Amino acid sequence: MAAPDILNPQAPALTENEELALINADYEQRYGFHDAENYLYKAPKGLTREIVEKISEFKSEPRWMRDFRLKALEHFLARPQPTWGSPLLAEVDYDNIHYFVRASEKPGRSWDDVPEDVKRTFDRLGIPEAERKFLSGVGAQYESEVVYHQIREDLEKQGVVFMDMDSGLREHEDIVREYWATVIPPNDNKLAALNSAVWSGGSFVYVPAGVHVEMPLQAYFRINTENMGQFERTLIVAEPGSYVHYVEGCTAPTYSSSSLHSAVVELIARPGARIRYTTVQNWSTNVFNLVTKRAVAHEDATVEWVDCNLGSRLTMKYPSVYLLGERAHGEILSIAFAGKGQHQDAGGKIIHAAPDTSSNIFAKSISKDGGRGSYRGLLEIAKGAHGARSKVVCDALLLDEHSRSDTYPTIRISEDDVNVGHEATVSKVGEDQLFYLMSHGIPEDEASKLIVNGFIEPITKELPMEYAVEMNRLIELQMEGSIG
Amino acid sequence: MPEVIQVCPIQELSPGEMRVVEWDDLEIGVFNCAGTVYAIEDRCSHDNGTLVEGELDQQACTIECPRHGSLFDLKTGKPLTLPAYVPVDTFPVIIEDETIKLEVE
Repeated sequence: MAAPDILNPQAPALTENEELALINADYEQRYGFHDAENYLYKAPKGLTREIVEKISEFKSEPRWMRDFRLKALEHFLARPQPTWGSPLLAEVDYDNIHYFVRASEKPGRSWDDVPEDVKRTFDRLGIPEAERKFLSGVGAQYESEVVYHQIREDLEKQGVVFMDMDSGLREHEDIVREYWATVIPPNDNKLAALNSAVWSGGSFVYVPAGVHVEMPLQAYFRINTENMGQFERTLIVAEPGSYVHYVEGCTAPTYSSSSLHSAVVELIARPGARIRYTTVQNWSTNVFNLVTKRAVAHEDATVEWVDCNLGSRLTMKYPSVYLLGERAHGEILSIAFAGKGQHQDAGGKIIHAAPDTSSNIFAKSISKDGGRGSYRGLLEIAKGAHGARSKVVCDALLLDEHSRSDTYPTIRISEDDVNVGHEATVSKVGEDQLFYLMSHGIPEDEASKLIVNGFIEPITKELPMEYAVEMNRLIELQMEGSIG
Repeated sequence: MPEVIQVCPIQELSPGEMRVVEWDDLEIGVFNCAGTVYAIEDRCSHDNGTLVEGELDQQACTIECPRHGSLFDLKTGKPLTLPAYVPVDTFPVIIEDETIKLEVE
């Protein structure tokens, strides 16, 4: 049975074949288009102190933020490019990137305020429609800055803040300053330093104590220009007993030369709060996606990362949860799909720093057409974190003999009274599995899709239904022509 | 019974300056923070790197680990930012006869 069209439930249901025919519209047509450039400002390529100062000046930032940026720039310039992770990192050319591009004057609260060509792009990506149907709020970033931001009025009345990070700094400087860079300091790593120097856009979310935001807040990140660097910065603070689900998606046109996306995301779940952060990453295959994401969970708090990586040339991303309070819980669900020319180096880190904390890491990777999927993870149980429980499962599926899968799990345990499990599997789509399904009349490519869908189902079922449908479509799209 | 060790004459550690003293296997960072002297273990609890090569903020009374940026409170030894999350030891400071001394045990 074909998946229902969530954005248009009135549309007649499609047969599986019709659905597949639609899926045949490839990335190029669905996401790979680009608009003519009609920018208010586009920085020349390369990173200099002047560009960092200009970004700060454009945004009329307080002095402390300007100083923060300039210090981070020194850290970035002083640090060598990492040599671990992926050989593709050597391809990143920091001198061939535009570090700041401004498309509109300020974020609109209505789509009518958004420049026409930019609005058309988001229409084409289905964002305004999704907003009307099933979201609590939407932020849309185009190049360096957010062009549209809106939150449902009832949530705003309850004190929920959801705005672009630039506005968050202006309107809620005290909260921002209290938490800013406390989870990811600028000197944490070279890419965090780069983001700290040139950050622009991203989301600021603040949920007051006891408030539950039932429907997701969605951010959509779009790169349009060639050789673009997008450096959004997101900070989510969930006060005691609150709940929020934040979802982000991203796409870009396909160019022959590279772009760079390097975000920093900090989450703070105060006692008893719960934050779920879902990513459906579908950058074009010329984008380097080098992101630092980290959360702290205080007493009885829960943080969940649901991380789906489909696109990009290289992704290096290991969402982390520091369980700092007793009984805190962390969850990382990760899917990575590596196709031709792609390396998905993904995974996660959980640090148990308090008693009776618990965690799960479930990671699945699929490699085909010579793609490379890596799981890289850390599970740490600190001295004093007695009663900690954790389970790490990482599974890899190889669809052909040219593809590659690696697993780099690290487990450090400094306490006796704990319960830790680790399982890892690597499997191929076996001829016996295919034969079994084909003997029941299922064509070979269908059978292969079924096996892949069954493999990732434990994670896609955790996605909101709308995104699970999109995820399955994307996986099917990636699977087109994979057998035969 | 704690042992008292000598660090240096007070005039050799001006405000904003810091240095390391060794005692047994331990390296201790001694910091003059706007006229008040503090001493903490010279070891970032994240990856055991030295702290005294980092940046001292005399106003906030913190030292920033030069390797990954964790800020440590010099009064309590507690990390104020990740990636470090375990406090480091602190040592009582005695100023006697114009000399900086530490209590260690």
